[in-house]
Amino acid sequence: MTGLMPSSGLRDTFPKLLLDNARLRADKPANREKDYGIWLTWSWSQIAEEIRALACGLKDLGVEPGDKVCVCGDNRPHLYWALTAVQSLGGVPVPVYQDSVAEEMQYIYDHAEAKYAIVENQEQVDKLLEIKHQIPNLKSIVYNDSRGMRHYDQGFLHLYADVQDRGRAYDAAYPDFFLSAVDQGQGSDTCAMLYTSGTTGRPKGVMLSFDNLLITANNGCIREGLSEDEETLAYLPMAWIGDNIFSHAQAYCAGYCVSCPESSDTVIEDLREIGPTYFFAPPRIYESLLTTVMIRIEDAAKSKQRMFHYFMGVAKRVGMDILDGNPVAFGDRLLYGIGNILVYSPLKNVLGLSRVRVGYTAGEAIGPDIFIFYRSLGLNLKQLYASTEASVFITIQPDGQVNPESAGTPAIDVDVKITDNGEVLFKSPGVFQAYFKDEQATRETKTADGWVRTGDAGYMDGQGHLRIIDRSKDVGKLRDGTLFAPKFLENKLKFFPHIKEAVTFGHDRDYVSAFINIDLESVGNWAERRNIAYSGYTDLAGQDAVYDLIQTCVEQVNGDLAADEKLSGSQIKRYLILHKELDADDGELTRTRKLRRQPIAERYAELIDALYSGKTHCPVEAQVTYEDGRTDTINADVQIRDAMTHGASVRAAE
Amino acid sequence: MSEQNRSPDILLNVEGISLSFGGVKALNNISFDVRKGEIRAIIGPNGAGKSSMLNCINGFYHPQEGQITFKGETRKQMQPHKAAEQGIARTFQNIALFKGMSTLDNIMTGRNLKMKTNFLWQALHLGPARREEMQHREAAERVIDFLEIEQIRKTPVGRLPYGLQKRVELGRALAAEPDLLLLDEPMAGMNHEEKEDMCRYILDVNDQLGTTIVLIEHDMSVVMDISDRVVVLDYGKLLADGTPDVVRANQDVINAYLGVTHE
Amino acid sequence: MEFMENVFVLPFLDIADSPVFFLEVIISGLLSGVMYSLVALGFVLIFKASGVFNFAQGAMVLFAALTLVGLMEQGVPVVIAILLTALLMVVLAILIEHMMLRHLVNQEGIILFMATIGLNFILEGVGQIAWGSDVKKLDIGIPDQSFEYAGMLFNTLDLSAALIAAIMVTTLALFFQYTGTGRALRAVADDHQAALSVGIPLKSIWIIVWSVAGLVALVAGILWGTKVGVQFSLVLIALKALPVLILGGFTSVPGAIIGGLIIGVGEKVVEVYWGPAFGGAIEGWFAYMLALAFLMFRPQGLFGEKIIERV
Repeated sequence: MTGLMPSSGLRDTFPKLLLDNARLRADKPANREKDYGIWLTWSWSQIAEEIRALACGLKDLGVEPGDKVCVCGDNRPHLYWALTAVQSLGGVPVPVYQDSVAEEMQYIYDHAEAKYAIVENQEQVDKLLEIKHQIPNLKSIVYNDSRGMRHYDQGFLHLYADVQDRGRAYDAAYPDFFLSAVDQGQGSDTCAMLYTSGTTGRPKGVMLSFDNLLITANNGCIREGLSEDEETLAYLPMAWIGDNIFSHAQAYCAGYCVSCPESSDTVIEDLREIGPTYFFAPPRIYESLLTTVMIRIEDAAKSKQRMFHYFMGVAKRVGMDILDGNPVAFGDRLLYGIGNILVYSPLKNVLGLSRVRVGYTAGEAIGPDIFIFYRSLGLNLKQLYASTEASVFITIQPDGQVNPESAGTPAIDVDVKITDNGEVLFKSPGVFQAYFKDEQATRETKTADGWVRTGDAGYMDGQGHLRIIDRSKDVGKLRDGTLFAPKFLENKLKFFPHIKEAVTFGHDRDYVSAFINIDLESVGNWAERRNIAYSGYTDLAGQDAVYDLIQTCVEQVNGDLAADEKLSGSQIKRYLILHKELDADDGELTRTRKLRRQPIAERYAELIDALYSGKTHCPVEAQVTYEDGRTDTINADVQIRDAMTHGASVRAAE
Repeated sequence: MSEQNRSPDILLNVEGISLSFGGVKALNNISFDVRKGEIRAIIGPNGAGKSSMLNCINGFYHPQEGQITFKGETRKQMQPHKAAEQGIARTFQNIALFKGMSTLDNIMTGRNLKMKTNFLWQALHLGPARREEMQHREAAERVIDFLEIEQIRKTPVGRLPYGLQKRVELGRALAAEPDLLLLDEPMAGMNHEEKEDMCRYILDVNDQLGTTIVLIEHDMSVVMDISDRVVVLDYGKLLADGTPDVVRANQDVINAYLGVTHE
Repeated sequence: MEFMENVFVLPFLDIADSPVFFLEVIISGLLSGVMYSLVALGFVLIFKASGVFNFAQGAMVLFAALTLVGLMEQGVPVVIAILLTALLMVVLAILIEHMMLRHLVNQEGIILFMATIGLNFILEGVGQIAWGSDVKKLDIGIPDQSFEYAGMLFNTLDLSAALIAAIMVTTLALFFQYTGTGRALRAVADDHQAALSVGIPLKSIWIIVWSVAGLVALVAGILWGTKVGVQFSLVLIALKALPVLILGGFTSVPGAIIGGLIIGVGEKVVEVYWGPAFGGAIEGWFAYMLALAFLMFRPQGLFGEKIIERV
């Protein structure tokens, strides 16, 4: 690897890395995008020119050093270029979640004091026009896709390609401008501001410097040995720190190619065509991939099913050991080899994961079954412990020592320590500069000597691996003092494919109870195979057969809990299946699909009361908001059931 | 094509059309016109003769009386594939897609009339035929992009949900780059969200591709929102004709249609 | 007891005794199976595109073979004779469309079926009036020699026939899948009304389909004719296509191919090993028994479209 260290002076900012890559890897692919059914490719030298034109055009439009520029849309090469173009002018790009509603956008534009916006299409322009009068700072909007924009004649709207044309003219008039602007950038400059989705309160703007992102990215490349030949697919929101590292910073450091899917609905297809070697997905994606596989298997012929289950059994027994390089008997190796030809390879191919060398997951705990499933297929799936404030990497599971329960060992240059009350703290080159305009929050999170509080409770195990239990503030106690870790329980429930979301209650209560959201696809399929008719989620969720199905899941979790002395008291005594799916549009989940406990507790107070009374039924009425903003009311009579709990004696019996 | 337009504004003129099956009069002396570039709705209760009217325009039915003038050419009888050649494309009330074929193939059939190379070249799959196939594929991809159905490009349409099938059917009609698009209840059986999507696509087609559209619908609210002018039929007779506001105010319409409960 | 032994024991002992011979039987079965596939393919093409079960397919095979032999008897060189016959089959397709199909649009399938029975008699009659009804030898220059390879006996004629049939089948499959005309044909097969609305002219599609079926009949006629001589019994070969269709499904091109192979192999194996138990000549009726079994347990055939109702 040639001079990858960013702080060498030459390669300490994105624009400098870009120019370097345009020289070193001029004809190597940098970006791909599928358009009209065909993959278009841009080389590093081509994107350098595109970015230069855009940067000069933005300059001509009035962008000055220090200006905040919001970037919003699906993963598109043009939007990634916008990040670097803004950075080369000394501006600070602020990626915004593309599915934010106008109100959420307004807060960010307002708080970030954004003067410019570079957005994907009409949908995003419309949202901005709706709130334009509330964000007086916003001067111009650049949009990339002209579709549907014919009748928009506002002077502050500019087509991306037109801005680039202006830029080329500007560049011709001031040929020295671009390079000198790039030269002025330094590693310590703020290079991006990312808003954390905020499980509590308003989102906070995390300011990150070039050094934060690039040193961390580079350390990640070194740890996994990433080269310019990697392939990745950028399909997670650009506003999320992970995408900034995996699809932008690491691509610039190592020089590999980032492909963008045709649309958010074609990701699976595109995955198959690109065949990434370096792949990140949150647990829910691995989960839903697995669910689609299982559904297809259940629809397959009996003989195929038998073959699948037999070889998956073999994989479960020896696959992980083979992947980790542990000794395995010859006979098993042979069986695994046959299984690889008949089952594992075709399966990975269908999922688009055949070439994955390094697969990451983070964000939430991944179900051990799911984790083991992928690893036993020979897919090197590893968990990370990551945060926006760390520019992603805190700990990574090292190759060969992957334990489903742990989050791995600290990444390069990262120190981790645990406080007396169990909170995880870290210190690294990636530690953020500050929260924008929020000194108090900065001081609460970042100690004077540079440690960052994660707010997570965890401990280091015997092998020096970090284990995370829960959010430290979420760990509560039942009335009798028993430990109650809601997220831990919820994850255990969610590991069943039939359960999509779960909310548990128990802090300051006599016992633990739970709300369940069934997985419509999985349970729907289950119901269809049993000829159970249903008209939609609410109907299906209320059926006795479905309750019976969920009952077995809940009781299985109770069995697991009973085996653990500390957690035995927090078995789930009563539960209900919610009559509607928890939804980010209703403010019940964050945009990254994390629970928002407070709003849920308020909205469903009646149901919670019912869980802690003797009732077996509770009539409810709920408001739902559709994507287009319309609201509707659902009426339902929610059934409440008791689950069997086990005494501590179970442990002895096992 | 001979362009002998009497009035450049009128794309389609229907004069005194009467159609009967056996003794039943499905259409009785219907006349109206469709201007270039407008969205024209035909509404009326079930059995009012709306679909029969569309079937006359694209040549599935041959009316006993009256004449139809399309692009200045007057005709009494018309064969469906001739109508297609002249630039009339349509969708059906009960989706008529090629169920066993993929979305892409269905849309490609819409390009059928634009294919110039003959059967022999295609059989050999050589030279011009191959080049032409590429061009048509590109045109089909534009339609796919326009309707945002990339994710189902390769899926056999028989497996798609109803709403998407409707969209693919619209795509097949669009692939022919028609001058006149006939939509037979494009929103029937859809939920609210799907209806809004379909409305947006219809408006986009009209606005961005400049296609003239005649649509049948019995959801009044939708029709009134998106059409420029509305024809109201009732038991095969023309009840009213005009802008949505005019039609809404028409007493006959109120009596016959709006006043009565309908689906 | 002896019968049981003949059915359940001896054949397997024979097979185990000489696996090479068993292989030889299978290969000869495959080779004749390809020929069945070819005839069945003619049926499938027309059935898919127009929903007509073409009873006259066998007669078309005979008609094409008779014409070819007739032309060659007149001293026309082989290649030109084949081209002329092919042309005649296309003309025939045009005539069928003009004089028959055009007038029967939107009629019940059974009426079209009756019409093809009529067509069957016309073709048989015309062919025999024009060219006579003697058994004729057809020789278009494919060598007919036997040779041994790896201990098995092969015949060059069988091999060439199988090769030609395989090429024909592959070409047709590709044509259907990848060309505009192929797509239009599939579209017509799927939904007549919708096909009309996108401007696919039904009439020319029918002409194309019947022409292709005619050409397939010509190839089948050449191959069978070379093998068994051109005679009236060629019509009966078409009857063999019926069990093939039932096995493969009436609408599936791959089904026709695989169905043909199964019947071909099944027939030969059964005849050689189980023939003695039944006093021989099982070949004649085995295929129909197999078809009957299929009708009971899997009426849509191996590859036929399952009928899925969407609620």
